[in-house]
Amino acid sequence: MLTFRALNPIRLPILAATLALAAAFALGTAEAAPKKVLRMAFRTAETGFDPQKVYDRYSVGICENIYEGLLTYDYLARPVKVVPLVAESVPEPEEGGTRYTFRIKPGIYYVDDPVFKGRKRELVARDFEYAIKRFRDPVNKSPYEWLFENKVAGLDEYVERQKKAGKFNYDEPVTGLEVRGKYVISFKLKEPDYNFLYVLAMPNVVPVAREVIEGYAADTHGHPVGTGPYVLKDWVRRSKIVLERNPDHRGYELDPRYADMRDPFDRAAVEALRGKRLPLIDRVEIYPIEDEQPRYLAFMNLEHDLLDELHPAFVHQVLPNGKLNSVLEKRGVHVFREEQPEFTYDSFNVEDPVIGGYSPERVALRRALVQAHDRTQEINIIRKQQALPAQSPVPPGIVGYDPEFRAPSQDFDTSKAKALLDMFGYVDRDGDGWRDQPDGKPLVLSYKYNVSQETRQLAELWVKSLANVGIRMDTLGIQFADLLNDKRVGKFQIAASAWTADYPDAQNFLQLYYGPNTDQSNESRFKLPEYDRLYQKSLGLPDGPERSAIYREMNRLLLAYAPVRLGVHRIYNHLQYPWVRGYKKHPILYTNFKYLDIDVAAQQVAMK
Amino acid sequence: MTAYVIRRLWQMIPTIAGVILLIFFLFNWVGGDPAQVLAGKISNPEQIANIRKQLGVDQPYWYQLWVFVQQVFTFDFGRSWSTNEEVSRILLTRVGPTLTIMIPVLVIETVLAVLFAIMVAYVRGSVTDRTIMIVCTVAMSISFLVYIIVFQWLFGFILGWFPVQGWSESFWKNLFTYAPLPIMLAVFVGLAPQLRLYRSFFLDEINQDYVRTARAKGLPEKKVMLKHVLRNAMIPILTNIGISLPGIFVGSFLLEVFFSVPGLGREIITAVNRSDFPVIKAVTVYLAILTMLINLIVDVMYKYVDPRVSFK
Repeated sequence: MLTFRALNPIRLPILAATLALAAAFALGTAEAAPKKVLRMAFRTAETGFDPQKVYDRYSVGICENIYEGLLTYDYLARPVKVVPLVAESVPEPEEGGTRYTFRIKPGIYYVDDPVFKGRKRELVARDFEYAIKRFRDPVNKSPYEWLFENKVAGLDEYVERQKKAGKFNYDEPVTGLEVRGKYVISFKLKEPDYNFLYVLAMPNVVPVAREVIEGYAADTHGHPVGTGPYVLKDWVRRSKIVLERNPDHRGYELDPRYADMRDPFDRAAVEALRGKRLPLIDRVEIYPIEDEQPRYLAFMNLEHDLLDELHPAFVHQVLPNGKLNSVLEKRGVHVFREEQPEFTYDSFNVEDPVIGGYSPERVALRRALVQAHDRTQEINIIRKQQALPAQSPVPPGIVGYDPEFRAPSQDFDTSKAKALLDMFGYVDRDGDGWRDQPDGKPLVLSYKYNVSQETRQLAELWVKSLANVGIRMDTLGIQFADLLNDKRVGKFQIAASAWTADYPDAQNFLQLYYGPNTDQSNESRFKLPEYDRLYQKSLGLPDGPERSAIYREMNRLLLAYAPVRLGVHRIYNHLQYPWVRGYKKHPILYTNFKYLDIDVAAQQVAMK
Repeated sequence: MTAYVIRRLWQMIPTIAGVILLIFFLFNWVGGDPAQVLAGKISNPEQIANIRKQLGVDQPYWYQLWVFVQQVFTFDFGRSWSTNEEVSRILLTRVGPTLTIMIPVLVIETVLAVLFAIMVAYVRGSVTDRTIMIVCTVAMSISFLVYIIVFQWLFGFILGWFPVQGWSESFWKNLFTYAPLPIMLAVFVGLAPQLRLYRSFFLDEINQDYVRTARAKGLPEKKVMLKHVLRNAMIPILTNIGISLPGIFVGSFLLEVFFSVPGLGREIITAVNRSDFPVIKAVTVYLAILTMLINLIVDVMYKYVDPRVSFK
């Protein structure tokens, strides 16, 4: 055995030189190792990377990698599970679900930036307080301001005071945002909220350093400085985003506890990543490509390693009869089939003089419209069988989703639709071949939608479906902004919509029909006291049988009063080449770069 | 000439005023409310009002119009409403990629169209002339979108001659790697109508008395065509190039979207989709000014191409 004691003064320099040479060689080899580069496309251009200002999922997806919140989601757990990120643990609710106290791991640092003037900047509890106040500062026009409205004790009053003063004083304390020392922050809520942890796991509810925001005030989107595993290396706006591994990041490790080893993606991820220090990918290149063909061809041409969200137009090519085509199969491409945590729907304006109201004949009319609509054709033809019929607003994979819940009243059935219309006096009274209202006035409905190829087809399907039961419909394609406005102020009769989960709880979907949310997210302007009472009751309950029973009852009320035609839960197919290791799509987090690995040798062989 | 140029510049002012009014009223009456988009999924009327206030769209129309006029004359359109990026920076960074594609397209297309047009005009009525005209008519009947889809699939994917899409920071890499396919495509699509048009210009000249006289004098055909016919046909050709010149600054939206070229055309469409009025205003106004300036330059150039033209 070689010990220091055994070394004589002559041998020592020789050994030192040998070791130095070996180290230099090893270092040289490491430097020469090719970088692991992941290349992919986004379907839409990003807007920027100020986490409190962004709204679109692609910008939020980048923020996910640059910043770190208190909490996040386990990569493999399904249904999703909240786990700590910079917090030491996931806290238990205190004071009846109105208080959540977090202790932040000490020694987490922001990436170096000139704004820190050469000092290492540690993440502290005060940064969270600052970020949450930023959501409410009107200057930021935060699209997620609603997350902290009527939520944190004293915050609304604080905001009002700042508005009156004409300037936001970030130094003024808020009773519900209690910072205790460097590492502890305690949130005191106005009401019990058992979904608050989900809010804190959202990828844009992340801390920012005040000096960064103030230092780059003119362009906070362009200077994201976080503690996350990646840094923004290069950004050609709306054309190219390059992330590089944060060399100072403390690293993660995959937790395989919640993996389902019967699932091939879970198994492969565990095999590829177990025991490794994440992230493994050195560089991520993202190209926003709005059109579907170049995105698809770039993947087929090996210019990209991943193809997220294969457009339905290519489904028959890529997955004929539901199986991967032979070319892609030979290349070893994997397909991850994801039921999106979202639902599409058509809102009926319950305040409309023709289809609105809660009287039996109006409810019958809406229910007849739902049953007249040929949803089967929507799924089979327009959506190329890449959708599931929604049985309630709550999509699969969301906490509170009830797989047993069925909604036969939403199924296509023209006989039932006609019978309902006949029974409640919606018959042809003037002999023109079209049904009229019970009072003899013509029954002509209108449908508003945001113009695109798909929505135009959906509008045509509505017209055709209603014509089959003798109802006339006019359709109006308008701009997205106008449609949003018209829906918010109730200037429509029937309008197309979709909702994607902000957090994985049924409440995020059921709030769409909560009466006080009229003029906001309750587009149908549905105000049913019983529904509202149940909703309020559900807010004070944690996930469990009692809350599930309430959600079930709320779903029943929605089906009974039909303020909405439930559409579908869309299915997306994500393709990956075999050299991308560890892939699994998360229903809430948009990106998964930090959990991926690249087999560079296999990638380079394929590209030759 | 100086008096002529000054007069023309002076005449631009009412035109710019008309453009400003048109854009302003179109945006306010037809364009969507940007606050609705910026407000996100869940927002209340107070938040929307706050955003409208910050954007200045809650101000009286006359005040908004005045701000717009100031922006035009100070060349400062502020920042994008959706990304907060300086509008001037957006324009400066986007015009390069657009011109990298569109200048070669204009040059190649014009040279080829003039060359082929003079050739087919010379053999007018022959099988070659008729065949080329039929090919041109068929080529013009097919949608640009179809060409893009087929060319990208064939040359980018099946044959692998070019990358399917992409753009880099290197001008030369862009010019020789990423731009050739969109350039080839645009030339292919633009050539047919240009060729037909220029052929008609040449035919008009070929039938003129001075051409008959030149031939009667015994001038060689090459000299008749290249010196006399070409020079006279250049006047309408120059007009046509002048008309299409401002278009090269906007580029082809479809090309830029399909080939991921970060150019102005793609930027404009993104701005329209996001109701990003500062970007829309800046591009439209600059394009209008550019069109007027190019028209002026083309008119001045007439003088040098055709000595019969005088400035009055």
